[in-house]
Amino acid sequence: MDFDFSPEEQKFAEEVENWLVENRDPVVMDHHRENFTQLSDTPERRAFMKKLAAKGWLGMSWPKEFGGQEIEGVYEYILNEALSKHAAPQIGKGVGIIGKTLIRHGNDFLKEKFLPLILDAEVEFAVGYSEPEAGSDAANMQLKADKVEGGWLLNGQKMWTTSAHFADWYWVGARTDPDKPKHDGLSLFLVDMDNPNLEVQSLPTIGKDTTNQVFFDDVFVPDEYLVGKQGKGFQMISEALDLERFTMFTLSPIANRSDVLVDWVKEAKRDDEPLKDDTNVRRTIAHIVTDTAVAKALSTRFVCAAKSGGKPPTIESSQYKLFTTSLSQRVCKDALDIQGHEGTIMEGQDDAPLRGRFEGAYRATMNETVGGGSSEIQKNIIARRHLGLPKNF
Amino acid sequence: MDLDLAEEQQMVIDMAKAMLEEHCPTQLVRDMEDDPNGVPTELWGQMGELGLNGLLIPEQYGGGGLGLLEAAFVYEELGRAMAPVPHFVSCVMSAKVLLAAGSDAQKDAWLGKIADGSAILTPAWLEPERGQGERGIALEAKSEGDGFKLTGRKRSVPYAAVADQLIVLARTEAGVDLFLVDPNAAGITRKQLLSQGREPQYQIDFDGVTVSAEDRIGEAGTGWATWNACMHEGIILLAAQAIGGADRCLTETVDYANQRIQFDKPLGAFQALAHYMADASTRIDGGRVLVHEAAWNADQGRSVSRFGPMAKLFCCEAYRETTRVCAQIWGGVAFTIEYDQQMFFRRAKALQLSWWDTPYLEELIASDVLD
Repeated sequence: MDFDFSPEEQKFAEEVENWLVENRDPVVMDHHRENFTQLSDTPERRAFMKKLAAKGWLGMSWPKEFGGQEIEGVYEYILNEALSKHAAPQIGKGVGIIGKTLIRHGNDFLKEKFLPLILDAEVEFAVGYSEPEAGSDAANMQLKADKVEGGWLLNGQKMWTTSAHFADWYWVGARTDPDKPKHDGLSLFLVDMDNPNLEVQSLPTIGKDTTNQVFFDDVFVPDEYLVGKQGKGFQMISEALDLERFTMFTLSPIANRSDVLVDWVKEAKRDDEPLKDDTNVRRTIAHIVTDTAVAKALSTRFVCAAKSGGKPPTIESSQYKLFTTSLSQRVCKDALDIQGHEGTIMEGQDDAPLRGRFEGAYRATMNETVGGGSSEIQKNIIARRHLGLPKNF
Repeated sequence: MDLDLAEEQQMVIDMAKAMLEEHCPTQLVRDMEDDPNGVPTELWGQMGELGLNGLLIPEQYGGGGLGLLEAAFVYEELGRAMAPVPHFVSCVMSAKVLLAAGSDAQKDAWLGKIADGSAILTPAWLEPERGQGERGIALEAKSEGDGFKLTGRKRSVPYAAVADQLIVLARTEAGVDLFLVDPNAAGITRKQLLSQGREPQYQIDFDGVTVSAEDRIGEAGTGWATWNACMHEGIILLAAQAIGGADRCLTETVDYANQRIQFDKPLGAFQALAHYMADASTRIDGGRVLVHEAAWNADQGRSVSRFGPMAKLFCCEAYRETTRVCAQIWGGVAFTIEYDQQMFFRRAKALQLSWWDTPYLEELIASDVLD
């Protein structure tokens, strides 16, 4: 048992940290964007990702044959934790689920077209699984893909596609075989976001960024843009999640918020007395710090399970996601409770405590226990796969 | 970074598990409840023979010289078995206090006997209407000649009826000091007070008990610092014990939820109940890694001023909450003496209240973070 990174991993973490300090840029690295910091949605942030690519930090865990370095996924974990700690964009969908799925299942055309673009940070993707009738029941996608001469015609609607308004390509699940059982009738496609029959509609949220719904009206997708085998879409989606545990939900933003809150409490006063001397505040801080340590322990648990290379750490990852997302919200709630009436002053105004960091974070983190598999879905996974309880839905 | 067990560590766990399965059936735990002595001879003997009592004691005193991490593995098993033994008071707290501050004579006299189980030492720490910090120590040790006279009352002293020595925390002119005291000395009266966890606990009155200067442990006025440091490590093991108890409570509840049928399906097929269990398992699995990280840090010589309190705070609450939700799944039978669930339910709360309770731990953590 060893809770420290190996000397090599430590060295890499330091290298990344130093590089991020040297390349600090307030336009790119803005903590007030909270979880949207991970997106490369502006020219500045895309330029930043090009710099990461030049460092050779994209696709580190990929096979050498496809331009990777074949090093352990834990390096990508270290990288993403450091990036998110600095509120910089993260490596994500491209080198993660999309790149890895293409490497395993993509045809030569797709591999040759997309893998170099991913490694050079020349392409941004949006992922389209959710639909109005496919929320937690992800396999219930209804978006139709009808076979036509030379390709497929896609019709229907996607929901919650966060990156649709800036992405270049769309990674889309669609129903190709409506007569088969729902898990066996889905296929994956790559769709050019410039397709004129694709309509992206912004959905404003109470967080600071928008998400999108996307409408498909006879969107033609050529045959070669079918990913893997027809009808294997859901299996590939599930497999990709298991392949991509290292870069999923970073802990750094939560740890960062805890640190920001602690630093603020240390200096703040109320009725001329130091706020930190208030017993309730002290109790609250003790629990935030403790629960953050538990979240870190749960992250250590899934990282170690993923490192061991045995079966995918589905359970460990579900436990981590369940605990950490609810902690994330609790930290924001507790911070506002500590700030009291001043906590309501909306983010972005200099007169707000911490410029309203927690007022904004309280809104922005609301979705964490829903997106990426709701807390209830995680509990179902833990109940069935970990505890061996019967199917309950 | 890895959470793999070394071969020797796995052996320690397997050995403790096998021994407890054989020598610590639940019936034994029940039989020992409220017993004035509370020490099951055969089990205690086995633990001594297998070296579990000397786990933390260096080899030169006949112990195994293992680390806190290995001890944490054993404590998870002790918690799982609800083992009714004076291991924590004697082999952890008393041994640690002697190792940290004892004279050579004190160490030579007691550590070997603690390690083989032939002597039991127990700390006399808490007092009525007083707290768990340094200020809570009011029992007076008045200088007299080249020794001291102890006067006052101690509470919640575990296993005092069978103890060969008490380690008494007392107030001297120099501050707080620790004394080795013979529990049969003149002026001492012991009275058993039944406790929620049902281990034998005693109220002890000291009426001018004479103690010689050689029986003070450590330099004058260093008692609280010694005790405080030992507690920070000791509570990591109690956190492990909580995880063991919670884990068994949950495992037995999951089995029950798979068997018990209501509305034509097993209880575990109801999400309201399954989600209780999923939450409990998450807290237990996270708490376990926190315990290991805390113990590992202690073994690396790093400070556990935050890790120790965090581990006990979180794991004891995880244990308590696990027993609460499991009772919901068992239903009415959890409330009966016949079923074992009540044993976890009582022990979880007693453990949370003992050896630094929630508010005390919260303040330790807050102080480490904020002050």
